[in-house]
Amino acid sequence: MQLRQVRVWDLGVRGFHWGLVICVAIGAVTGFLAGRDWLGIHVIAGSTIAALLIFRLIWGWLGSRYALFQSFPLSLRAVRHHLSPAGRGEHHLGHNPLGAVMVYALIGVLALILLTGAVALGGVVKQGPLAFLMSFATGIQARSLHNALAIGLLVMIAAHLGGVVLESWRGRQNLARAMVTGLKESAEAPQSAPVAGHPWIAGLAVAVAAAVLVPGTLALNALPGRGVPPPALDAAYVRECGGCHFAYPPSLAPAQTWVAVMDGLDDHFGENATIDSATATVLRGWLADNSSEHWDTRPAVTLRTTDPAQPQRITAAPAWTRFHRRIAEAVFKSQAVGAKGSCGACHHDASTGRFDPQQIAIPAKAFQ
Amino acid sequence: MIKMIPVLSFAVLCASATLAISAPGAGQQTVLDRYAAEAKAAAPAFAGFSAERGKAFFLAHPASGKPDTPSCTTCHTADARQIGHSRAGKEIGPLAVSATPDRFTDIAKTEKWFTRNCDSVLGRACTAAEKGDFITFMVSQ
Ligand code: HEC
Ligand code: HEC
Repeated sequence: MQLRQVRVWDLGVRGFHWGLVICVAIGAVTGFLAGRDWLGIHVIAGSTIAALLIFRLIWGWLGSRYALFQSFPLSLRAVRHHLSPAGRGEHHLGHNPLGAVMVYALIGVLALILLTGAVALGGVVKQGPLAFLMSFATGIQARSLHNALAIGLLVMIAAHLGGVVLESWRGRQNLARAMVTGLKESAEAPQSAPVAGHPWIAGLAVAVAAAVLVPGTLALNALPGRGVPPPALDAAYVRECGGCHFAYPPSLAPAQTWVAVMDGLDDHFGENATIDSATATVLRGWLADNSSEHWDTRPAVTLRTTDPAQPQRITAAPAWTRFHRRIAEAVFKSQAVGAKGSCGACHHDASTGRFDPQQIAIPAKAFQ
Repeated sequence: MIKMIPVLSFAVLCASATLAISAPGAGQQTVLDRYAAEAKAAAPAFAGFSAERGKAFFLAHPASGKPDTPSCTTCHTADARQIGHSRAGKEIGPLAVSATPDRFTDIAKTEKWFTRNCDSVLGRACTAAEKGDFITFMVSQ
């Protein structure tokens, strides 16, 4: 019996596989280990995975022989046969029936992770194509699902690696290397007419998909996020309330806070901060119309619950304390920051009320 | 004698430049005129503002206001040409007109801050004379 090298995995399958390995690794590291400010990279990894999956779906119809979905159908009977003593001796050049189950399961779980990720991104931080649609509450639920699915994916990856080791040992050949070179050893007679695939048509299909999906996603990204306040603050508010500190966007606190602040301006945190009564009336109305109850951003929802002992302090709200628990007192007191209430010192989009994770940068001087 | 002319004119130039720096600009003069009229109405013996009195007022710790704001210098620092800091940590541009030329040119703004800060530091409103002295001092800085 003569063993010959057969090209099993074409460039499309190998590129997809290793591209996925890299993106999933980046997604897992940025998702599980890195802080919130890595969200941008995490989203890029996810978007690339989406592109890879779309390519793989196309390649499953238009790729070469072992890339085709029809070459590894999802079949319980085949799995049972594969695991029975009779099936043990059989060779599978492409995916064996158990491997096929794993491929479809991985693709399915990845698709769900992308979907829940997009819902979470849209709802929680009001970014991405679903920001216009998703509420904060839905986003939080999607985030929990996204996390659970990601843990499930890690388990599946472990099982996949175990399977590769086991099958490599059973079949006496290095399957990981085969996914690099594309070559496997086979005793079978050369296939009469290997299906070579249709790379040009597949390329065209990918181009068409990109031409629809990329501008479509960008257009959705550009829609105003659901429950996101307009970025500009009232000019009189900034003038009157921005002299001593950062002018807090009204979406950061509930109406109760603003009423208490406006009622107590003659002794405002130990200072006189009075405003002429005509302007004060206008500002009261504007604050009431724009308090956190009217918006659905993360700060608006989480900071809505204030500290009952000091309802005027945004920085005393339980969620505020939780978000900033890892930041040392000295950082807040440094000249570069000034106080806990200097939101804009670290959040570069603070005046818009969005507080995007990617917009956080604690000034280096604050650590000196 | 002819030779002295350039020297003399240079001296005149220097003197007028110094005057120009410490003299109130048109904007500050309008505000000062208003406080002068108020001061005269309150006390007919009013004989003009004094940068010296303004300086003493600026540096004083009157101990009659709110505990967190014992003095104007709490926020504006003892050197009016320096950047100050509010109690909330925000930078305050210098009050000295040489450092911030548009200080005391908008009567509504100036009045608003006198109302707030005098109450915080002194526990009462400032008189027109105190305001005028204060601005005169800041113009000289
Ligand atoms: C005269 C100066 C001054 C003005 C004007 C002023 N504030 Fe303040 N504000 C302060 C100080 C001082 C604090 C307390 C800062 C600290 O303790 O860190 C404060 C704190 C606050 C806080 C709580 C911040 C936190 O740490 O959670 C809110 C909210 C607030 N101000 C709202 C307003 C609003 C609204 C206006 C306009 C109507 C206004 N402020 C105008 C001086 C001022
Ligand atoms: C609690 C901090 C604080 C204290 C104490 C304080 N100020 Fe101020 N002051 C400010 C802030 C903040 C501004 C506005 C800064 C700006 O416009 O850049 C200001 C502005 C002013 C202005 C307005 C200047 C203009 O551009 O027209 C005057 C006048 C003034 N202060 C006078 C005083 C006097 C007099 C005292 C002492 C009696 C005093 N301040 C004490 C914080 C303070």
